[in-house]
Amino acid sequence: MNFWFAVFRQTGRNLRQTWTSQFMTFLTVSLSVLIFAFFYLIYTNMLGTGDRLSDDLRLIVYLEEEPGSEMKEQLRRKIKNFDDVEEIIFVSKAEAYEHFVTQLGDDSDVLTGMPENFLPASIEVVPLKSLRGYNQIKLFSEYLASLPGTEKVQYGQEWVERFYYFTRLITIVVLLSGMLLILTATFMVAYTIRLTIMGRKDELELLRLVGATNSYIRTPFLLEGILQGFMGSVIGLSALYCLFQWISVHFAGPGILNLFQFNFFSFRVILLIILGSIALCSLGSYSSIRKFLKF
Amino acid sequence: MNGSNQTAIEETVNSDNIMIEMIKVSRTYEPNITALSDISLSVETGEMFFLIGRSGAGKTTLLKLICNMEVPTKGLIEVAGYNINQLKGKDLAHLRQKIGVAYQDFKLLSERTVAENIAIAMEVSYKKPRAIKQRVRDLLDQLLLADKHNSITSDLSRGEQQRVALARAVANSPRLILVDEPTGNLDASTTKQVMELLNRSKMAGATIVIATHDASIYQQSTHRVMELRNGAIHSLTRGDQ
Repeated sequence: MNFWFAVFRQTGRNLRQTWTSQFMTFLTVSLSVLIFAFFYLIYTNMLGTGDRLSDDLRLIVYLEEEPGSEMKEQLRRKIKNFDDVEEIIFVSKAEAYEHFVTQLGDDSDVLTGMPENFLPASIEVVPLKSLRGYNQIKLFSEYLASLPGTEKVQYGQEWVERFYYFTRLITIVVLLSGMLLILTATFMVAYTIRLTIMGRKDELELLRLVGATNSYIRTPFLLEGILQGFMGSVIGLSALYCLFQWISVHFAGPGILNLFQFNFFSFRVILLIILGSIALCSLGSYSSIRKFLKF
Repeated sequence: MNGSNQTAIEETVNSDNIMIEMIKVSRTYEPNITALSDISLSVETGEMFFLIGRSGAGKTTLLKLICNMEVPTKGLIEVAGYNINQLKGKDLAHLRQKIGVAYQDFKLLSERTVAENIAIAMEVSYKKPRAIKQRVRDLLDQLLLADKHNSITSDLSRGEQQRVALARAVANSPRLILVDEPTGNLDASTTKQVMELLNRSKMAGATIVIATHDASIYQQSTHRVMELRNGAIHSLTRGDQ
C-alpha cells in the first residue's frame, strides 16, 4: 500500500464520518462562490458594455462662430495640445443643418421656413481609446470649454457620470463579496476541519503514537479542503450558469437587457475562480491541522 | 527524514545489542510529585523484561517515557541508539512504527471494528491491504477473537479489548513491544494465549517490556524482573530467583 492509497482511504473515512458538517461547509462554499460570481459577472459585463459604449464616445464642441481655415488650424493645434486625439471633425452650420434634415427624415418639412444657418458650427472630437476614464473625459471637456470661441461642450455628461458611478458601485460590491467569500469559505472550512479534528482527537493522537507521519495525518484534511473548494465552486458556478441561461431565455427580446450584450465567464475566469476557491479552502484546512500537529 | 535515514533507523533497530538505554532518568509532575527518580537501565535486543511494583510505583510512566509519550524531566533515554527525545517529525514517526505499545487504557477507537483497530498500526507503514487482512486474521485466531473481527470495540468486554490492544501492539511486527498490564482482565487460559503470542514475538527477535502485577507470568521464568517502589528501582533480579 502506498502513501496516496492510504491517504485517499483515510479521506474517504473522514468524509463518511463527518458528512453532515462536510455538507454544510460545501453549501456555504457554493453560496459564497455563487454570490461573488454573480456580482463579478455583472461587473465584467458592465465593463464590457462601458467599453463598447465608449467606442462611440465623442465630444461635441459648439462654437460661437463658423471658424475660418486659420482658426480651424489653431483650434486643431490647441485640442492636440491637451492630448492626441483619434479624430477631429469640423461641422459647419450648413453641414449641421444637412445632418439634422437627414435625421428628421420624413419629418424634415418641420424645418420649412427656417434659415439654414440656425444651427451652430461645431467640432466633433473623438478621443483616443486611452482617454476613456470618466475623470479624464471630464478634464478634457473642461479644457475644450475653455478654448476661445467655444460656447458649450457636450458628451452625454449625465449618462457617462451615472454609468461611471454605477460601475464604481458594482466594483465595491464585487470587492466586498469577494472578501466575504474569502472570509466565509476560509473560516467555514477551517471550522469544519477543526470540529472534525476535535471529534477525532483520540484517533489522531493514536495515529501519532503508532508512527503516522505528519503528512499521513495532514494530507487527508488538505484533500478535504481541496474537495470542498472544488465541489463548492463548481456547484456555485453551475448554479450561476443556470440563472444566467434562465435570464437570457426569459428576458430575450426588446427590453433594457438588450442594451447590454451579456456574456458568461470565459474558461480562464472559471478556472481562476475554481482555483481560488480550492486555494482558500485548502488554506483553511491547513491552518486548522497545523495547530493540532504543533503539540 | 529521507529514505536513507529511515533505512538507517531500521538497521539500527535491527542490529544494536542494546535496545533501551536509560541513564539517571527522572520524571516529576507539577507541583512536586516524583513519578520516577534516577532510573538507570539497559534492556538488550530480544530480551523479555518485566517491570513490577504496586500501583503508582512508576511502571506506566516508565513505559510512556520509553515510547516518547512523555518527556523525562532529567536524564537520557535511548531507544535503538537514538535519543528518543531529540527525534522529531518523520524520524520519530519511523521509530514509533518499530515500537508497539499496548496501553493500560487500551486506546482503542471505540466506534471502529476490531479489525480496523488492529489494522491502523500497519496502515501507517503502508503495508499492503491483503497482508494487513491476513495478519489481522492470524492475530485474532491466536488471541481467540476470530469471531470478533467485525465487532465494534466498545461492544467488547474489558478482557477482549485488552487482547485487541495487544494485537495492535504486535501487528506491525515491531522490534520493541511495550505492554502495560497485559493480563489484568484475563482468565488463566487466555493469559496463557497472550503470553504465547508475546513469546512468539520475542522468538522473532522483538524486545519486550511488560509492566505487570501478575506474578504468574514472570515467576519461574529466567527473564529479568525489575521492581519499582515510589519511582525508584527497588530490585533487579531474575524471575526464578
